[in-house]
Amino acid sequence: MIGITAHAVYIPRHRISRAMIASAFGMRALTGERTAVNFDEDSLTLATHAVQWGLRYVSSCHGLFFASTTAPYLEKLNAGLIAAACDLDDGITVADFGGSVRSGTIALSCALDSVAASDLTNIVIAAADVRDAPPESVEEQIFGDAGAAIVVGRDRVIAKYIGRATVYDDFLDIVRRDKDERVTSFASKFTFQRGYQEAVIKALSKLLKGVGLRPEEIDKLILPPVDRESHLKLAAQAGFQPNQIQRTFFEHIGITGSSMPFLLLSAALEEARPNDKLLLVGYGDGADALLFEVTDHIDQFQVDHPIEEQVSWAIHFKSYELFRKAREFFRHHEDNLEISNILYGREERQNIRLYGTQCEECGTRQFPMTRVCIACRSTESLKEVRLGRRGRVFTFTTDTLTPSPIPPTVMAVVDLDDGGRLYLQMTDIEPESIRIGMPVELTLRRLNEGRGIHHYYWKCRPEER
Amino acid sequence: MVESLKDKVAIVGVGCTKFGDLYDHSLQDLMVEAAQMAYEDAGIDPELIEAAWLGTFSPGFGGGKASITLADALRLYGKPITRVENFCATGTDAFRNACLAIAAGLYEIVLVIGAEKLKDRPVRGLRREGVHPYLDAGSTAPGIFALAANRYFHEFSMDRHVLAKVAVKNHHNGALNPKAHFQREVTEEQVLNAPIIAYPFGLYDCCPTTDGAAAAILCRADRARSFRDDPVFVKGIGLAVMTGKPYFDPTFDYIGFRSTKLAAQQAYEMAGIKNPRQEIDLAEVHDCFTWTEITNYEDLGFCKKGEGRYFIEEGHSTLKGDLPVNPSGGLKSFGHPVGASGVRMIYEIVTQLRGQAGPRQVPGAELGLVHNLGGPGSVACVVILGR
Repeated sequence: MIGITAHAVYIPRHRISRAMIASAFGMRALTGERTAVNFDEDSLTLATHAVQWGLRYVSSCHGLFFASTTAPYLEKLNAGLIAAACDLDDGITVADFGGSVRSGTIALSCALDSVAASDLTNIVIAAADVRDAPPESVEEQIFGDAGAAIVVGRDRVIAKYIGRATVYDDFLDIVRRDKDERVTSFASKFTFQRGYQEAVIKALSKLLKGVGLRPEEIDKLILPPVDRESHLKLAAQAGFQPNQIQRTFFEHIGITGSSMPFLLLSAALEEARPNDKLLLVGYGDGADALLFEVTDHIDQFQVDHPIEEQVSWAIHFKSYELFRKAREFFRHHEDNLEISNILYGREERQNIRLYGTQCEECGTRQFPMTRVCIACRSTESLKEVRLGRRGRVFTFTTDTLTPSPIPPTVMAVVDLDDGGRLYLQMTDIEPESIRIGMPVELTLRRLNEGRGIHHYYWKCRPEER
Repeated sequence: MVESLKDKVAIVGVGCTKFGDLYDHSLQDLMVEAAQMAYEDAGIDPELIEAAWLGTFSPGFGGGKASITLADALRLYGKPITRVENFCATGTDAFRNACLAIAAGLYEIVLVIGAEKLKDRPVRGLRREGVHPYLDAGSTAPGIFALAANRYFHEFSMDRHVLAKVAVKNHHNGALNPKAHFQREVTEEQVLNAPIIAYPFGLYDCCPTTDGAAAAILCRADRARSFRDDPVFVKGIGLAVMTGKPYFDPTFDYIGFRSTKLAAQQAYEMAGIKNPRQEIDLAEVHDCFTWTEITNYEDLGFCKKGEGRYFIEEGHSTLKGDLPVNPSGGLKSFGHPVGASGVRMIYEIVTQLRGQAGPRQVPGAELGLVHNLGGPGSVACVVILGR
């Protein structure tokens, strides 16, 4: 049996109410709020966090696919960087998928085929997008940012893969050229009917026919919307009842591009029961439809951070300008850093994979990596060790002197649960809420820009325990 | 310790420029001013100088990191000159190296200059060099000390009110000192209401960035009285270097500085000091931030760990107290031109020991202490001077 073995969603902590966006332009507001990235987040960091969480539930990983229309590197493998941050073996298959918000389900389809055609156990597919729409557009209110990871494999499958159907469609719906920073949307009644409705219904019919099922035999139709209600209209058109439709969190999250199908699939799996039939749809330049059947293993599977919990754990941007600044700051910022690929290469294991040194003589775990133990000065019995990703604040400061797009910068000294002490910036926190002893988890973030490179490094963020 | 420096080196001349935003002075101008004051104070012909040490952290324009910065400023050519840099303990370490050379018998008369021109660059705070682009990202001078202050507050249940008392005291002393960058009193209320720089430090908890220079003429002790009747003698020196990245050190308790403790131990042993609280009459200590002065009281052995607050609250460290600390006004009033500070502190203690400190004179001062602290508490230098 092959199918889904784990899933995780990572919702960035920041929000902006649609009313706040609308009031910046005196336009009509949609209800609710959308998720939005912090200034140090991008699609790669959202995906990395989702993978970090998703891989907690499986014991091995033989591939990592990254799906996004907003990958930070156009030349350089984004999936490779995510894999390194998660300290995955360099022998695994990694690949970037893009070009459409359907890239998530395309990557998922490829992963399922890879598992079926080989003896690979687990492939993780991470999808994330940080799409930008022009200021004053409806899309700016509709869109949200999120990352999600689905693991497919053959051991302890929680949702068995039954089959799929796909159609491609050379159609203009939402597009972005190589020279554009923001999407161009052709949303209209025509686009809904000729694009979304036609492609999705074609894929659904093809799949249902292929597996010999009728719409009423499906327990959950997981259909990414293109606006608040579009998916409901389409589902009715395709013969599904409202109670079969996975809810979309539009009031709190928004439409999250490549990660949307995974986010909704993860939500469906959080509530699924054995034998449920889940029908997953991906839309964009055509449509994918994939059918899964939930197994008994679902009863033992519980995510650490359910979507509802993440939705309620929010920090709201204090202004529309800060929301935009968070999205745009690094696009225009270049630091004249004294760094080249030499330092990057030599220290990749330490700075990205986050390895430290374990002294076997006195037991002290330390960072950065060292040739002489900081506690006992032993040089003989030092071993490389992968550091944990969770800890507690030993001490901190909130610094307004450090240059930052959104000051102050919270700096923390963190004692890791498994040993070792790190000095990191803290992110996704309201500065006045920091306390000594506070539990934190590590999160890869965009630290800086310069010399043609996005500089990623670890920060910490508060963790609900 | 095989040999002691005690009473082998004398200070026979000192000089110190006005400290402040000296926009019309170059680094070279400051060095020349400080050196000429020291020559005059010692009554010495500059031709007699046999060797020189320059302490400067960030020499900037005109000379850079080599010893030519001093050679060209003073046109002191053809002699051994060494530039010393050791974080914020640069000035005292330059002095220490000069002492070593005299004690070794290599030279009889040498010059030490500490000089820094921080205000040639339009940046806030200290420009940091040689920091790792990832591992040190986000760290600033107030930030790295604030890490320690917050942990200390946590351990000893203290808050910003104690820090304000240090600022008030040092501003008071600075108001009596015409060479200080700031010559005005502040109130506790002003200190507590100032904008936060790096919590718990507000603006008045931080020393300013400043320009300045100070110089000293050192000679072999047995020649001192040929220059003047009131030479000051070096009684002890200690220098201790700990990790430059204490924030990664899992063995560090973060409630004080091991470097200060160890440097003080070395200096006290050399000077034969058993009870610093009783024996030392006054101290110039490194108050880069108000909390640093509190931990200095403890690390230098003036009181127990965690009891620094009482040392200031009970008035022991005020000008009228039994162990006045920073009678000059400290870094708080003088600012901290990195390489200059240590030598400027030596200037103050020499002035006090000679009884020439005017309205801020500590009566009957016989034995004084100088303390520099560099990096995130990484490098400490302690100098004991006496009559």
